Order: sequence, then C-alpha cells, then structure tokens
Amino acid sequence: MAAKRDKLYDFFDPSRAKGPRSGPDIGKEVVPQPMSVSLLVARVKQALADAMPGTVTVVGELSNVKCHDSGHVYFRLKDSAAAIDAVMFRATAGKLKFTPTDGLEVVVEGRVDVYDARGQLQLYVERMMPMGAGSLELAFRQLKEKLQAEGLFDAARKKPIPRFPRAVGVITSQTGAAVRDISRTLRRRWPAADVYLLATPVQGEGAAGQIAESIRLMDASASALGIDTIIVARGGGSLEDLWAFNEEAVARAVFAARTPVISGVGHEVDVTICDLVADVRAATPTAAAELAVPDASAVRGWLSQAATRATRRMRQRLDEARLAMESIRRSAIFRDPLGRVRTRMQRVDEFAHRLRGGIRHRVAQARRSAEPPAGRLTALHPARLWDRGAAKVNSLLARLRWALGGRSKRAGDALAGIAGSLMAANPVNRIRLARQQVDGAARQFAASPVNRIRLARQQVDGAARQLDAMSYRRVLRRGFSVTRGRAGRILRAASQAVVGEMIETELADGRLSSKVAGPWDNPSEPRATGGAKPAGQDHAEAPAKAGPAGPPAPGPGPARKAPDPGATLFD
Amino acid sequence: MTMDAKEKEKLTFEQALAKLEEIVSAIEEGKVPLEQSIDKYAEGVELVKQCRQILDRAEKKIQLLGRGEGGQLEVTGELDEQAGEDKQDA
Repeated sequence: MAAKRDKLYDFFDPSRAKGPRSGPDIGKEVVPQPMSVSLLVARVKQALADAMPGTVTVVGELSNVKCHDSGHVYFRLKDSAAAIDAVMFRATAGKLKFTPTDGLEVVVEGRVDVYDARGQLQLYVERMMPMGAGSLELAFRQLKEKLQAEGLFDAARKKPIPRFPRAVGVITSQTGAAVRDISRTLRRRWPAADVYLLATPVQGEGAAGQIAESIRLMDASASALGIDTIIVARGGGSLEDLWAFNEEAVARAVFAARTPVISGVGHEVDVTICDLVADVRAATPTAAAELAVPDASAVRGWLSQAATRATRRMRQRLDEARLAMESIRRSAIFRDPLGRVRTRMQRVDEFAHRLRGGIRHRVAQARRSAEPPAGRLTALHPARLWDRGAAKVNSLLARLRWALGGRSKRAGDALAGIAGSLMAANPVNRIRLARQQVDGAARQFAASPVNRIRLARQQVDGAARQLDAMSYRRVLRRGFSVTRGRAGRILRAASQAVVGEMIETELADGRLSSKVAGPWDNPSEPRATGGAKPAGQDHAEAPAKAGPAGPPAPGPGPARKAPDPGATLFD
Repeated sequence: MTMDAKEKEKLTFEQALAKLEEIVSAIEEGKVPLEQSIDKYAEGVELVKQCRQILDRAEKKIQLLGRGEGGQLEVTGELDEQAGEDKQDA
C-alpha cells in the first residue's frame, strides 16, 4: 500500500520531503511540503489519464447547451445525482446532423480530462447520438418543426402548378432512373412542352448545397427559357441516400423560388423536407412528371367532344331556322300573293260590265222616246252618268290600291285621276280625255282586266256616239243642216265642194240630195265666221249657213270657242 | 421553339381552351342570335385546329443546361438517353 502511494506522489519534490510524519509532536506542527496548484492539477490529470485511459461512453441528459459562434458547443451532461461539463469542438460538432438541445437524452463518446486553467473536469465529446432514435430521424424532426414554425410548409403559400407549361425544368442526376422516368413520362403525355435538365449530384458530400444552387439558378433563368414548372427529383434510397433533400439549404432554396416546384424524391413512403416545402409533393419522379403536364390524349378527347357539341347544336339551330322559313313560305300570302289583287280586279271587271250595261240600257231608253222630256234627258246626260260611275270607281280604287300596295300605286292613282276629273269636268268634252286615261291605267293592269276595260271603253265610245248623234239633231231642228259630200264626208267649207258633184244635205226630218251648181254669191248674206278659208279662193257656199253656237256646255270647261257648224264631237 | 416565337402565338394553349369552352357554351345555350352563333362556330373551328396543331407537335430531346457567361443558364447540349445506367438509384 505504501509503495503505491509512493508512486502516486512521485511528482513531489523528494528533496523537500521531510519524510513520513513521525509520532506525536506536541507543540510543533509538522506538514508535508505544499505543492503548486499547477502541480496539483497536473497530478490529477495524470491520475485521471491513468485510471481512465482512452474514450468513455456516457449516457446523460443535455443541459445548458450553448452553441458558440466559434462553432464549439458547450454543455453539461447530467443525471439525477451528478453532472459534468462537456464540450464538442467545431470539427466534430459540425458533423452533427441534429441540433443538441436542452433536455435531450444522448449517448456521448469522448475523453474525460481536466481543463487546466480552471482545474475543471471536462468531457471532450467526439460523438453524440440521441437516445431512442437515430440522429437523422431526430434531425429530420427538429428541422421539420423549425421550418413549420416559420411557415415554410404553409398551404396558403403553395403556388398552383401551370396546367399547360411551355417548358419544364428538371433538377436531378444526369444518370440514374429518375431522369429517364421523367423524360419518358413528359414526352408521352405532353410533347408540346420543352424539357430542360440541370444535372446535379443528388447525394454525398456537399450535395445539398449543389441542389440548392441548382434550384436558385433555374428559378433565375426560368422566364428567359420559358420554364413554367421545376421538378426536383431523386430515385429511391435509404435515409442517408436521400439526406441531402432533408437539409435546410435545399428547403430554403425551394421556398424562395418564384417558379412552382414539384418534388419527387424517393419512393412513396419517403417524405423529405424538400417534399414538404415544395408546392406539390409527388410520390416518385414519374409521378412528378405526371403532375407537371396534362395528358394530351385526354385533351384531344375534350377537343373532339367540344367540336361535336357545338356542331350538333348549330345543326339544330339551322334546322329550326329552315323549318320556320318553310312554314312562312307555305303560308297563303306566299303561295298566292296576287290572290287579293285578283279579287279586287274581278270586282273592277264586274263594275265595268255593269257600267257598260247600264249606259247601254239608258241609251236605249232615251232612243225609244222621240221627245224625251228635258228632265229625263238631263238625267241621261253623260255627265250625270259619269258622276255616278266615277264615284263607284273611286271607292273601288281606294280598296284596290290598298290591296295592291305600292306596285300598282301608279295604276291606282291613274284611275283615281280618272274619277276626279270625271266628276269635275264637262263629261261631254272629256270623254276623249277619259278614254286616254283609262287606256293608260289599263296598260298597267294584268292582261284580262285591260281587255275588259278596253271592251268597256269601246262600249262607252259607242254610247257616246249615239248620244252625240242625238245632240246634233236638236241643232238641225232649229234649221241648220249638215252637208255631206263624196264618201259621206261632211263639208265644212264651200271650197270643199266640187261644181257638178252630188251632195247630200241632212235636215231635221230627212236628207236631200242635190248637185252643186256653183258658188253662191249673195252680197246681202253675211259671210261664215268659222271654218277654214282657203286663201284666194271663193267659197262654194253650201246650203249650210253659219249660225249661232250649238247647245251651251252644261258645265265649266276650258276656254270656250264658237264651234264650227259642221264640227262634231270627234274633232 | 424559341421564346419569341411562343410569345407571338396569339393565345396560349390555356387561353385557347378557355375561349373554346366559352364559345361552345354560348352556342349550346342558344341565347346568341343565329348569325352571331355562326361566327362563333367558325371561330371555334379555328381554335380547335390551332389546339390540335400544338398537341401534334413532334417530340423533342431533353436539353441540357449549364452555367453560361453572366451566371445565367444556357443550353449546352442534348441528353443522350441511351447512356449507361448507374449502379445505384440516383
């Protein structure tokens, strides 16, 4: 026992040693030679090194964790009864996947030593592992909580993926299954979009930083290249293989990107931080491609369907329009537009017929009586007859005009003109004018009415002639006569007669025939005032003498002139 | 197709589809007068043709990007998809 003790205290200065304490020394204190603090600490360090060489493995709870700017981590490792100060230097602390936090149960590996300056026992930790879970799982949990609290996973912040991207940017390794799966899927579904690959290492040292940088670069160049969506992808692997996608650097890069990001890392069961931050998470790289672009065949189907719908409806509407047209076309108006006109025409026909018949009847009546009383003649006066006729024509015309509308307006107006002027003017003098007007109007009608009107006109002519004949007889009864020469032509001037020719003289009660002896030269008789006088020639004065004018005109007319004795109504 | 050529397309694909949907609805509802419907139908036919043209574009190869001058990405080549596979899934 003594020898061991000797060994331990070898570092004492033996020359100073006074030897073991002797027996009772009353009055005089004997103490061993004191050592320096340095010496003490040095000796403790040595003892410690001897007793506990190499590394120790200790389990305990972290407390007072302080991460310095230097990168060193200082903390305390404790259990219920004891505690020891510990430090993890930057070199090893930097390799930690998780963050040491107070209360965390850990297992550490390190060396125990005394920190000279303070004489303090310290545990110099080289490895630290969380109790109960792997460090990666812990790290994942820690980062997830941290970023979630910052809002990086918020659904509200997620951008919608464009339905029809012009181009898709892919960040993944140039080799491996992921890029092949993605390119095959994109080309199959939507060849219309361009695809760009920014080849990036997806595991190993520094991978996270490179992935983050790729995302930044691609986002910056997106608008220039027309990239509307970014895919970040990696095939399946272990947690370690996929670890780069759980790093904070990648998460921040994805969050900062203005372009929508689809994350397709690992297999269905693998959920990485990148997946959580991305705008859309895909279970696999193939799924990511399917989410990035639509299915062209589905879109083609929609287009065909839209075309069919529209075409069907257009055909329906055109058919409906056609049917509507047909029913209009079949209606009475279009089948027989002139129907109403013809009805009116027929009435005009009937009227003309009656008019003709009526006049003829009246004329016949007048003939039968030799001396018809003035009253009856007055009633028979063509003026009156025409007045009545014109009134009827007028009313029919109004209705006809309405039925015919614009096209026959001229015809209607012409007939109206007839009615008006017949009422107003001297019908005896106006018959010729009436005849002309009726001719004009008649020409604008359909064939058959024209014929009927012409026929009526002819009848009217006939009647007029008869009236005419009647009217000049009154003149004859007053002593005038009518002389006719060759071919029954009325002689108006003495010069028209040839000496020696036979002439016929019509008197009130009959005719005489005589032979022209020569010109009558009786200076006591006044010369004829009317009729043409051939220049430089004596008249062969016919027995017909000049006399007063014929029966006065019953109504207003144009400027009256004294008619020739031989003038007829037909001049 | 370069970006400029794409920008010159009168309507993006998405816009064309939306317009087409609008036209088909208008025709089906029948509230538009017949003559206008015919015009819209003609427009629809044209849009369907344009969309089909876009869909029928030939497949292109994947283009590789690299850092160019000024730090922007630019096309450096095409992906040869027949290249050898990696041993691991990457």
